[in-house]
Amino acid sequence: MTAGVLLAALVLQTPAPAAIQPPTRHVTATETRQIAIDERLAADANLRVGDTVVLSAHPGGAPGDTVVIAAITQRGTDPSDVARDEYKVRLHLSELQELSGSGDRVDRFAVLTSGGAERDTALDRINAAAFGFRAYRSADVAVGTSKTFQVVSRFHRAIAGITVVASAIFLLCILLLRVDQRRHDIAALRLMGVSRRSVVWSVVVEAALISVIGSGLGTIVGWTASLLINWHYRGLYRTALTFALVTPGVVTLAVALAVVLGVTAGYVAALRLVTTPPLALLGR
Amino acid sequence: MKSELSGRETAGWAAGVDHGGPVLSVRDVHREYRMGGDVVRALRGVSLDVAQADYVAVVGPSGCGKSTLLNLLGAIDRPTAGIVRIRGRDVSTMRDREATQFRLRNVGLVFQRFYLMPTLSARENIELPMAEAGAGKTERTARARELLAYVGLAERERHRPSQLSGGEQQRVAVARALANRPALLLADEPTGELDAATGAEIVGLFSRLNADGATIVVVTHDEELARSARRVVHMRDGKVVA
Amino acid sequence: MTGALAIASLRRHPIRTFLATLGVAIAAALLLDMVMLATGMQSSFRRFLLMQGFQIRISPKGTLPFDSEATIGDASAITRALTANRDVVAVSPVLGAQVHIVQRGHARAATVFALGIDGLVEGDYELTAGAHVSAPDHIVVNDVMQRATGARVGDTLDVAAGLDPQLREYTGLRRLVVVGTGRFYYTAVNQPVMAVPLATLQAMGGSDRADRVSLFMVKVRDRVEPEVVARWINETLPRVTTISTTAALHEVDSRLGYFRQLSLILGAVSLVVGFLLVTTLVTVSVQDRVGEIAVLRAIGVSRGHVVQQIIIESLMLTVAGAVSGVVIGLITARFLDAILSTLPGLPAAFHFFVFRSSAGWETVALLVGSGLLAAIYPSWRASSLPVAATLRGEAVA
Repeated sequence: MTAGVLLAALVLQTPAPAAIQPPTRHVTATETRQIAIDERLAADANLRVGDTVVLSAHPGGAPGDTVVIAAITQRGTDPSDVARDEYKVRLHLSELQELSGSGDRVDRFAVLTSGGAERDTALDRINAAAFGFRAYRSADVAVGTSKTFQVVSRFHRAIAGITVVASAIFLLCILLLRVDQRRHDIAALRLMGVSRRSVVWSVVVEAALISVIGSGLGTIVGWTASLLINWHYRGLYRTALTFALVTPGVVTLAVALAVVLGVTAGYVAALRLVTTPPLALLGR
Repeated sequence: MKSELSGRETAGWAAGVDHGGPVLSVRDVHREYRMGGDVVRALRGVSLDVAQADYVAVVGPSGCGKSTLLNLLGAIDRPTAGIVRIRGRDVSTMRDREATQFRLRNVGLVFQRFYLMPTLSARENIELPMAEAGAGKTERTARARELLAYVGLAERERHRPSQLSGGEQQRVAVARALANRPALLLADEPTGELDAATGAEIVGLFSRLNADGATIVVVTHDEELARSARRVVHMRDGKVVA
Repeated sequence: MTGALAIASLRRHPIRTFLATLGVAIAAALLLDMVMLATGMQSSFRRFLLMQGFQIRISPKGTLPFDSEATIGDASAITRALTANRDVVAVSPVLGAQVHIVQRGHARAATVFALGIDGLVEGDYELTAGAHVSAPDHIVVNDVMQRATGARVGDTLDVAAGLDPQLREYTGLRRLVVVGTGRFYYTAVNQPVMAVPLATLQAMGGSDRADRVSLFMVKVRDRVEPEVVARWINETLPRVTTISTTAALHEVDSRLGYFRQLSLILGAVSLVVGFLLVTTLVTVSVQDRVGEIAVLRAIGVSRGHVVQQIIIESLMLTVAGAVSGVVIGLITARFLDAILSTLPGLPAAFHFFVFRSSAGWETVALLVGSGLLAAIYPSWRASSLPVAATLRGEAVA
C-alpha cells in the first residue's frame, strides 16, 4: 500500500494570519520544515516562497512548528472546492501527524493498482480484511462526491425546461402574428390563382429562415453570455473552473428546437389562412 | 320611420341656435403635403361658405381634393394656408387636443367605409361619441335608441356591424355622427360602398336630415346624392371651379 | 367604454390573446420562482436557525457548525463561562460523531450520526413518538435510522463509538435503549441520526472526546441584542468562532450566492420576455387597427383615451398572465424545491423556495410595471397617428 501525502485542510478564517504567526525564534534552513501553501492563502496573507511562519493545530496562539514556505501551489479545478472559502496547506504526513497529535492515523489511503481485474481483486481482498475502514473504487467515490453537481444539473435542466416552454410559446405567438399580418398578401396570391400548397410552402420557408437566423443570433448571444458568466464566477470564486459551456450539442439542440417550433407555427398559421376564403381575408 | 320625438328634436337642430353668420366659412385654404419626394398641392385657394341648414354637395373627379377639403372642414387636418371657421371659431390653427374636443361636440363625420367598431353593437357604436363627451349611461342609451329609431333601425340595436347590411351600417354611422348634436354634418362618399337601391335610402336619409334642419356638406361622385343637395360645388385640381 | 373597447380588441383574436397570456403566465411563473428563490433561502435559513430560539452558535475556530470534524475542548468551562452572563438564558452543547450499530447477523455495522445533547435543553429535534432522552442509556432516533437498523421504541442496541482495525474490535461499546423517535431539524434528509446524552457520547469516545463538543447553541434573553452577546463571547473566548444569526445568514448567503445570482438573472430574463411578448402583441394589434384608431380620433375621441385603451389592453394581458402565472409558479416551485432538497448534507428543515404573500405581490407588481412599459411604444404609435393621412391611406387601401 502506498500512503499518499496527506492533504491537510486547515480551515482558517478569511483572512486569518492569526494562526500563521511570525517565528518565535530564528531557525536555520537545515532545521526548518517546509510546507507548500495555496495561491489564495499566499495572496490574502501576503506570503512568499522563503517566508517563515508558525504552523499550529490549535487556535489561539499555542506554540507550534516553525516552517518555511517552500512552494505556492495552484488550486485545482475541483468543483466541490469552489464555494468553500478554505486555504490549503501541504506538508509531509509525519509532520502533520506530529503537529496535530493524531499519532499514526490517516484519513484515507490512495492505492495504485494495474487496473482492471487487479483493481477488483485488490478491492475485494482489502474489504474482506477490513475492520473499521472500507475500500472503494476512485470512480465510485467521484460519483458519490459529485452528487451535489448532479442535483445542480437537474435543477438547471428543470429551469431550462421551463425557459424552453416559455420560449416556445413566445416563438409560436410571434410567428402567428407575423403570418397573420400577411393575410392580405395571402388573399391576393390566392385570388391570383396561386395554389394553397405554394402559399403554405412559402410561409413555412419564411418561418424556417426566421428560426434559423434567430437561433444563430441567439447562439452568439448565448456564447457571449457564457463568456461573461465564466469571467464573473472565475473572479468571484477565484478559480479556473468553467461554469458555462456552449457545446456543439447545445447549439444543435437550440437550433433544431427553434426550427421545429418555427416551422410548426408557420405551418399551422398558414394552413389557417389558406383555408379561409380569400375575400374573407380581405374583410369582404 | 317613426320616433317619439320630432325629427328636428332628434336630429338636434333646435330652433334658435344661430350665431348670426355662416355655420362654415372657408377662406382661401391651401393644403400641400409630401408624398415620397414630391410635394402634392391638394388644395389651391378654396373658399366656401355654408349657411345654417344648408346642404352642399362637393363634386369633382378623383384626386381633385374633395376629401382633403372635407378633412379641413372637419378639423381633422390643418391647412397649409387659409382659414376655416366653424360657428365663428377658427379651427385651422387649433392644436390637436382642442381640435379633437371641438370635433367631438360640433362636427359629425360619415365615411365611405362606415368605420363602425366591429366589436361593438349598433347602439354601442352610437353611444361612443357621447361616452367620450362625458354623457351618463342612461342619457347615452336613451339618445342612442332615439337615433336608431330615427334612422329606422330600432330593432337592430344589439346587432354587430358584421350582422348588418351595408346600408344599415351606414345608417348607424349617420346616427353616430348625430350623437352629440353637432352643428355640422360632413360626409365623405357616404354611398360609395353601396348599391343603387341602398344608396337611394341614404340619399333619402340625408334629405330628411336637412329638412329637419341639419347643415350638411357631402363629398360625392353619386349624381343622385348631388342632385338631392340644395347647392353643388364643383372642384377640379384643388380649386372650386363652379 | 374605453375598457369595453380594450376587452373587445383582445377577444377579437382569441388564439393570439391566449398564447400571449400563456407566455406571460410562464414568464410570471418563472419570475415568482426566482423571487421565492432569492428571498426563500434567507428566510428559510433564518427560520431554521431560530427554530428553537437559539440566536448564537459557537463552533471550533475558523469553521461553521459541523463543517469539519474539529471539536472544542474544555466544554464544561465554556458552558460555565457562558451561563455566567446574565443575558444568556440557555446554552445547549452538542457533540456530533459517527457511531456504529452492531447487530447480530449483519456482516457490517450500520453507521449513523449521533448527536450528543444536553437533555435538559431541547434544541435539536422534535419528538414524534415515545419519550425524550432522560437517562444516560437513552436514545431517540429518526425514521431513517429506524429503517436502516429496524430499531423500534423499546429496543436495545449495541452502539460503538469507533472501530479499532488492528485489534479488530469495537471501541466504546454501550448498550443503549431506544426511548423515542423524532424529527431532527439540523441534519440532512436521508441521514440516519440518533440523539444520545452528551456525557454518554463523550464517555464512549474515550480521551479523544472527553469534555469536547462540536457546537454550542446559545439563547439570549428577550430584548437583548444577540450581536452584543456574540461580541462578548468573541472577546471572552478567542479560541472559538462565534456566529450570530446575522453572520450565519451572511455566510450561507455567500455560499449559496450562486442561486441568488441565478434567481436575479432569470428573474430579469422573465421580465424581459414578458415585456417583449406584450409589447409585440399590442403593437401588432394597434397596427391592425390603424383605420379604426384614426376614425376614433376623427369622431372626437381624445389621444388620452386612445392611449388609455392601449394601456388597458396591455395591462389586461399582463394581469391575466400574472395571476395564472402565480398559480403555475407555486407548482413549479415545489418541483424545483424537491430537486434542490436532495443536495447532500442539506438539513431537512431547509427550503430554497419559500412562498410568502409578498413574493406573489412582488411578482404581480413587477409584471404590471412591465406591462405598463410594454404599452409605451404601441400607445405612442396609436396616439401619434396622423388622422387625415391614415384615413387617406385606408381609403386607398
